[in-house]
Amino acid sequence: MAKPIIKAGEPAPEPSLEASPADRAEHAAPLPASRRTESGVAKVLRLVRRGLLWIPLAGLAIWTLLPLLVTLSASLKTPAGFAADPGLIPKLPTLDAYARVLNRETFQDAMVNSVVVGFGTLGLTLALGVPAAYAFARFRFVGRHALLLFVLLPLFIPKMGLMAPLYRMAAELGLLNTKLILIVVFTGTILPLATWLMVGFFQAVPRELEEAAAVDGASLFQTIRRVVLPLAMPALITIGVLAFREAWNEFELAVALTHGGGNRTLPYELYSLQTRSEGVRDQPAEAAFSLLTVLPLLLVYLRIERYVVQGITAGSVK
Amino acid sequence: MSSRIGRRRRRRPAAQSASQMTMVGQGKIYPYVFSAPGLMLVGAVLALPVLYAAYLSLFDSNLLRVEQPFVGLANYTTLFSEGQFWAALGKSATFVFGATALGQILAVVFAFALNRVVRRLRFLRAIAILPYIVSGIAAAVMFRIVFNREIGPPNQLLVALGLEPLSWLASPSLAMVAIIVAQVWADLPLCILIVLGGLQTINSEHLDAASVDGATGWSRAKYISLPMIMPQLVLSTMFMSYASLTQLSTVLGLTGGGPGTATQTLPLELYRTAFLEFEYGRAMAIAILLFAINACLATFYIRLQRKYGVQ
Repeated sequence: MAKPIIKAGEPAPEPSLEASPADRAEHAAPLPASRRTESGVAKVLRLVRRGLLWIPLAGLAIWTLLPLLVTLSASLKTPAGFAADPGLIPKLPTLDAYARVLNRETFQDAMVNSVVVGFGTLGLTLALGVPAAYAFARFRFVGRHALLLFVLLPLFIPKMGLMAPLYRMAAELGLLNTKLILIVVFTGTILPLATWLMVGFFQAVPRELEEAAAVDGASLFQTIRRVVLPLAMPALITIGVLAFREAWNEFELAVALTHGGGNRTLPYELYSLQTRSEGVRDQPAEAAFSLLTVLPLLLVYLRIERYVVQGITAGSVK
Repeated sequence: MSSRIGRRRRRRPAAQSASQMTMVGQGKIYPYVFSAPGLMLVGAVLALPVLYAAYLSLFDSNLLRVEQPFVGLANYTTLFSEGQFWAALGKSATFVFGATALGQILAVVFAFALNRVVRRLRFLRAIAILPYIVSGIAAAVMFRIVFNREIGPPNQLLVALGLEPLSWLASPSLAMVAIIVAQVWADLPLCILIVLGGLQTINSEHLDAASVDGATGWSRAKYISLPMIMPQLVLSTMFMSYASLTQLSTVLGLTGGGPGTATQTLPLELYRTAFLEFEYGRAMAIAILLFAINACLATFYIRLQRKYGVQ
């Protein structure tokens, strides 16, 4: 049952559980004056304005989903019949491409590597970022104003530019092609942003709670562990996902720091699959591979999307 | 709980306030101890390589040669005199300009639309953020299929309209369009969120006042909303230009710099010099120049931000 439009000042119609059409007509408030007297042209214009809202929204959905759907449909086709089957819905859908990808040893290695490096980056980021963020948030000390510089630093230093020198540095240290160097480097690139976000969240925790714990005799560590961290948990989860995503999706630095031999992460492996020149390109497999790299993040993302949006939209208005 | 704490360690004197913790003897070093590891790691990963690159750029360093003599600024002069660097710079400029322009238009349009959705349509916002979780290389693979001559939607649309299908990735100018679209697709979520964040903090009083004065939706958007989200627009522009200037994966995966060198942007030039030609000295020089360009852009944007201020 449509809710009647209530104009300010008019008495609200009485709500009823079951209203007959006659009741509805009796209780429904009259349309606003402007709509009662609007001409045909104005009505069209109003509908057009409505349409102007729907067009961008539909466009947004199409813009975002079309590449994903095209890739999905491509992944269900056969390499031989790829060009011959242009429709979005494949005539003879098959999961062969996925089987081919999942059975590749290099894919399995890359998946394992990505998972290990992802969680490693997540752990190291939180381990280093939480104390640093707490220090910036709660203490007054000399280096505090360096926080802004700290956060702006990655802005001035793109990962692209780091590829060459980091490669040489890692080579000299003998750490080339190891998961450790990937974890360390990925953490370094995400830590400034992660720390900055965490500072904001820590500052949102009321000081009174920490003071109350201190009055009770809790040490600093206990206060942090039992009072601050549980309250900042949503933030920590968001940061954790951010760090994991950074490691999972990172391409440039992975290319610089690893090469073949089973130590690649998924993005690099996907690229090498694509550039392999063994005759006919296996495009359904490429499509399947790319979707498989998105899948784990997608599953996580669906659960924490709200937090991510809150974090970023809040940050943009600081 | 307090008795349990008291049992575990000597009970500390109850602090008057949290800030007093910093005045206790051992409290003074806590902030430094807490922040040092993180700062050192970031310094090692971000700052140190810049210095190392600056140092190495002064040498004629190639993996395949044994001698690595000091050559001063010769790497830079070679770069500036050779055509390749300028060509790459030009491609990057086109790319950045195109991506930033398209990105801002779409971000504003989509953000304004998303700002007015009812609760039921909130899932649209989740959809808008989807590209954020797709890696650059995966997006490149996807768009390679999208721009496929036979089965890609754009060509299918053209064929449906009775036009000739285009060879997107084989034509120099169309390939540039393709990488622009792919890059914008991959980076739009963040821009939309930034602009949307700004729109959501606009005090509705201003908009209501304008409505009362008879302003339509269009002029309300143009004269009130847009000026009020200037800081966010600057931030969004900054982000999109930064991403398109410095990202390798989307372009490398989609066109590999081709056809020929039609889409050989600066990051690709750097990648080629370092990892395909092993000319490390020159690669470091390109990297330093990339840092410099980036720093100029960043300072420019920071000044813009300061001018428009954060409300």
